[in-house]
Amino acid sequence: MKIATLKALARSVVLESLRRKDLWVVAILGFLIILAAGTLGFFGFDGLQVFAKDLAVTVVGLFSTIIAVLTSFRLIPDEIRNRTLYPLLSRPISRIELLVGKLIGSIVVTWMSFIILCGLTAIALEIFQVQFTVIMLQYVLMKMLGLAVVCSISMAMSIYLTPNAAATLAFIIAFGAPMITRALTMSAPTVDVGTRTLYSVLNGVLPQTQLFDLGGRAVYPNWSPVPIWILGFLLAYAVVYSSAMLGLGWLKFRKQAI
Amino acid sequence: MKPAVVIPICICAAALGSHATRFSNVVNPPVRAAGLEAQETHAAASLLGQFRTSISSFLFLRSDLYLHGGVEMRPLTKKEVDSGKKGVGAAADENEKLADDDSIVTVIPGARDDFRGIFGDVERSVASYKDMTGHHHQSPTQTLPLFRLMTWLDPKFIEGWTTGGYVILFDQKPGCIEKALAYLQQGLESNPDSIDILGQVAYCYLKEMEPIGYKGHQYDKALPYLEHARKIGVGNLKLLTEGEKEALEENYRRLAVCYRELHRYQDMRDCSLEGLQLFGQDGSLRQHAKEAEQLLRTQTTRQ
Repeated sequence: MKIATLKALARSVVLESLRRKDLWVVAILGFLIILAAGTLGFFGFDGLQVFAKDLAVTVVGLFSTIIAVLTSFRLIPDEIRNRTLYPLLSRPISRIELLVGKLIGSIVVTWMSFIILCGLTAIALEIFQVQFTVIMLQYVLMKMLGLAVVCSISMAMSIYLTPNAAATLAFIIAFGAPMITRALTMSAPTVDVGTRTLYSVLNGVLPQTQLFDLGGRAVYPNWSPVPIWILGFLLAYAVVYSSAMLGLGWLKFRKQAI
Repeated sequence: MKPAVVIPICICAAALGSHATRFSNVVNPPVRAAGLEAQETHAAASLLGQFRTSISSFLFLRSDLYLHGGVEMRPLTKKEVDSGKKGVGAAADENEKLADDDSIVTVIPGARDDFRGIFGDVERSVASYKDMTGHHHQSPTQTLPLFRLMTWLDPKFIEGWTTGGYVILFDQKPGCIEKALAYLQQGLESNPDSIDILGQVAYCYLKEMEPIGYKGHQYDKALPYLEHARKIGVGNLKLLTEGEKEALEENYRRLAVCYRELHRYQDMRDCSLEGLQLFGQDGSLRQHAKEAEQLLRTQTTRQ
């Protein structure tokens, strides 16, 4: 796998996103966040810091996940539909390189959007005189890893399904997996051993996107930063899960008649 | 459509619209929204990511989360109760009725109850989780802006007013009584017939707060609110929710005490007996009724 090829492919995704003015949408969303923060200031800032952080984490988490899915679900189908895949594959680029390059590109675009959102949200939080802590930095880094996982899921789905179905399923997985995991943990102590084994398998297959959300610790006071080994584990998990999703996509894409 | 049809329709619509406020009590009655207690709905709310039909309800649930320092709690399921599982228990610092924690547990289970192995360990490390047995509450005053926000968004949200009133009193700081009364008066302006708010105002006048030198026991000031709540309760008994009935029962007890302290023994007896007719199981009201009889007899003997 050639680094230069991957870089060129990722760059094309970023340029395409800039051309489509996707980041403008992000900027508008961020502006709305600041506007909402200003409106909340009507009630006085004293004591609203926790609420402001809570709102910020919720909104940034929601928007960035949406952006991750919308950026990555259409990359391969668009290439096929616009027939731009043929000139790409006529060059010395393998199909796995194409997938990896596109995935890296979508991750970069998602991260750019996320950082813009974070920057605008930080301005909003500054209005509320919120103090920035180490956990907030950890939150940003881990959320970026989580978004990479979402991108890989969305891209893998887009190879197996129609674009709309892929986007829908990716949204269901991104937002629904934490709920399913929560339901499983709630009911596990009251089920028999066989069902619990099934739960373990299901839990292993589902993406653990909630693990990348340090929002709770970042929002509420008196929580200590997350230990380094946990961050290392999450990095390894993100790499393994994203690779698995990429592999799943490649299984179909390598033999797909175009 | 002909103007002959359109114009009368417009006139009718305008006439109805000008009287729309008259229907507000029917459409949005000043009673508790049943089932909004965080303890009752928290599990479902947690599962659904706290998506609620109204922002006020959402904020109310968030205030419960703030009280627990971000640790998400849920009530025990029926199955868990049947299997003998116990909740985290009441908070060690519980001195106001802000949350009922006897039958709730953390949403993220402890290591012993978690089948997920390392994933569970990691989640307990990254999420705002801690063992909540004998836990302490965060100062609820930080949730006060939320109560202001939720009651501004929905002035008919009774829980927002009453719980907000408790929150203002919680830290027992100088001026808290005046602030709580001002807050509750705002609530009464939007909900003049709310038994809960009326009872809460009376509570402010009656409660003694040693740390700030507030003696309370202002029976004469509390009385009009309790009498008004009694009148509303008797007139609308069938419409009251279980929660409002509880508030009414509590009001009857307070009312009996007020009458006793103001030496209105006949009223004390009448109110206690009326309360007993509605809430036959109430031991305090029975006691107040007996006490009123005795006081009346003593008064007659003296005369």
